[in-house]
Amino acid sequence: MLLELRDVSVYYGTAMAVTDISLKQEEGSIVSVIGANGAGKSTILKSINGLVSIHSGTIEFDGKRIDGSGTDAIVKAGIACVPESRKLFPYMTVQSNLRLGAYLRKDKQGIQEDLERVFTLFPRLKERLKQKAGSLSGGEQQMLAIGRALMSKPRLLMMDEPSLGLAPIVIDTLADTILEINRGGVSVLLVEQNAGLVSRVAQDCYVIEVGRIVLEGDIKDMMSNDSVRRAFLG
Amino acid sequence: MNKTKRSRFGIAAVFLVALVLFGVFYSGDYVLHVGVLVMINVVLASSLRLINLSGQLSLAHGGFVTLGAYASAVLLTKVGMSSTWLALLISAVLAAVIAVVIGIPFTRLKGIYFTITGIFFVQVIVLTVQQWRSITGGNGGLQGVPRPDSILGIEFASKTSFFMLAIVLMVVSLVILWAIERSRIGMTFLGIKQADSLAESIGINTTVYKVAAFAIGGFFAGLMGGFYVQYVSAVDPTVFGFLPTIYMLIYVIVGGEDSFLGPMVGAALLTILPEVARPLQSWMPLLFAAILMVIIFLLPEGLVGLPHRLVGLLKKRTKEQPDATS
Repeated sequence: MLLELRDVSVYYGTAMAVTDISLKQEEGSIVSVIGANGAGKSTILKSINGLVSIHSGTIEFDGKRIDGSGTDAIVKAGIACVPESRKLFPYMTVQSNLRLGAYLRKDKQGIQEDLERVFTLFPRLKERLKQKAGSLSGGEQQMLAIGRALMSKPRLLMMDEPSLGLAPIVIDTLADTILEINRGGVSVLLVEQNAGLVSRVAQDCYVIEVGRIVLEGDIKDMMSNDSVRRAFLG
Repeated sequence: MNKTKRSRFGIAAVFLVALVLFGVFYSGDYVLHVGVLVMINVVLASSLRLINLSGQLSLAHGGFVTLGAYASAVLLTKVGMSSTWLALLISAVLAAVIAVVIGIPFTRLKGIYFTITGIFFVQVIVLTVQQWRSITGGNGGLQGVPRPDSILGIEFASKTSFFMLAIVLMVVSLVILWAIERSRIGMTFLGIKQADSLAESIGINTTVYKVAAFAIGGFFAGLMGGFYVQYVSAVDPTVFGFLPTIYMLIYVIVGGEDSFLGPMVGAALLTILPEVARPLQSWMPLLFAAILMVIIFLLPEGLVGLPHRLVGLLKKRTKEQPDATS
């Protein structure tokens, strides 16, 4: 098991954000967490990333516990995150954004190779290398956010609502991109509201509602079950 | 080195040589004195800008200068330390250490809340030196602080000698600040400034960098405090209190926060202004506020953006002229 959450609960102050979340992901797979706004999807990613501390439960990555470690240690261990609304360093160039993605790495050779790999995936970024990140279009910013995350050479790439605010045609390209990244050997944990995107890329799917997992299984089975689809997937 | 880099370096070198020659050949005490004050304020504004680079608007700077000034004064007059240079170094290091100690809790706060803690810090330092009479001399402050020991056969008595020492301290400080800004550390500061939580999520330990920026700024503030007190040989609790701290911030903004040169320009002009406008002395805070507002509304990139603006205006004119004649 690459990633395993056992009974993870997170509080913000006294408010419970997520309760008893258990989730498993095999190496090389694409797993998805699906749910409405405020259901606690981002909180799960933040807890894996070490950005919020968990109240109870355990998080294991590659058999080692990572809950309680600092974010830098977690990134080093091989987890990268594309945060919600594709956050970038807006006044820095595309190039600097990518370089900062490799912040914790020292292997110059490997960084250069990964930079080339990102350019193969997103040729557009190479054209815009010297441009400020904030001046890119929405789709290009998403590419850069993903490219930056890949620069840390992750084994697990977490994406927080990558489809948000993108045109349907761009979402199609996004699905292809996710599959291509996965083919390169990177496991993907995809948090989404867009069931269409999820059903195109993921197999295992967890449905979350007000901080609890209410359903888990194969996304295709869920989509073909009318009552489930209407209740949870919109 | 590329061309613009080389020409910038060239201009800086020419300027530095001119400054040294001025110090050598000009002997008007008053002008040299203002020159020393300018250089102190240049370092204060530039070091304050370094803290701002990490996305933290600090109003604690005066507190560090006061700490540095009193550290030197107390060590040299009360404790009986014999080396003024060691006292100067301790001034800087002590300010940096205090910056780390208060920085660890303060930098957890973001935006305006961090800024408010700075105001609080300056007030605590001022009140402490006012009340702790046995050590600090209370409101009267401390007098008779010895001047720097002679070094390499140079005695520090004349204004000229202090002017030269100020040049050395300023140049060394600015070179270090510039090097930090251009390094990986500087880039990390900028990353934190532009997207704090993102920087954290790519594995940057933002707390360490925020505290580091605060401490580096504090170091140079303390250094200048120590130098100031050894120069004027006296200090009182409010020379670097709240209002001077606000002034330091005004130097940065009026000069232009986005460029390294900005705070230097702002500090130089706004240190000279009160001297040439002596009759308006009591109106100075109002005048500073007016200048600040004019700059924010009309020239948000600061005075360093002025040449660029003027060139733009000129181009527009020459472009429009043929139209007008045809």
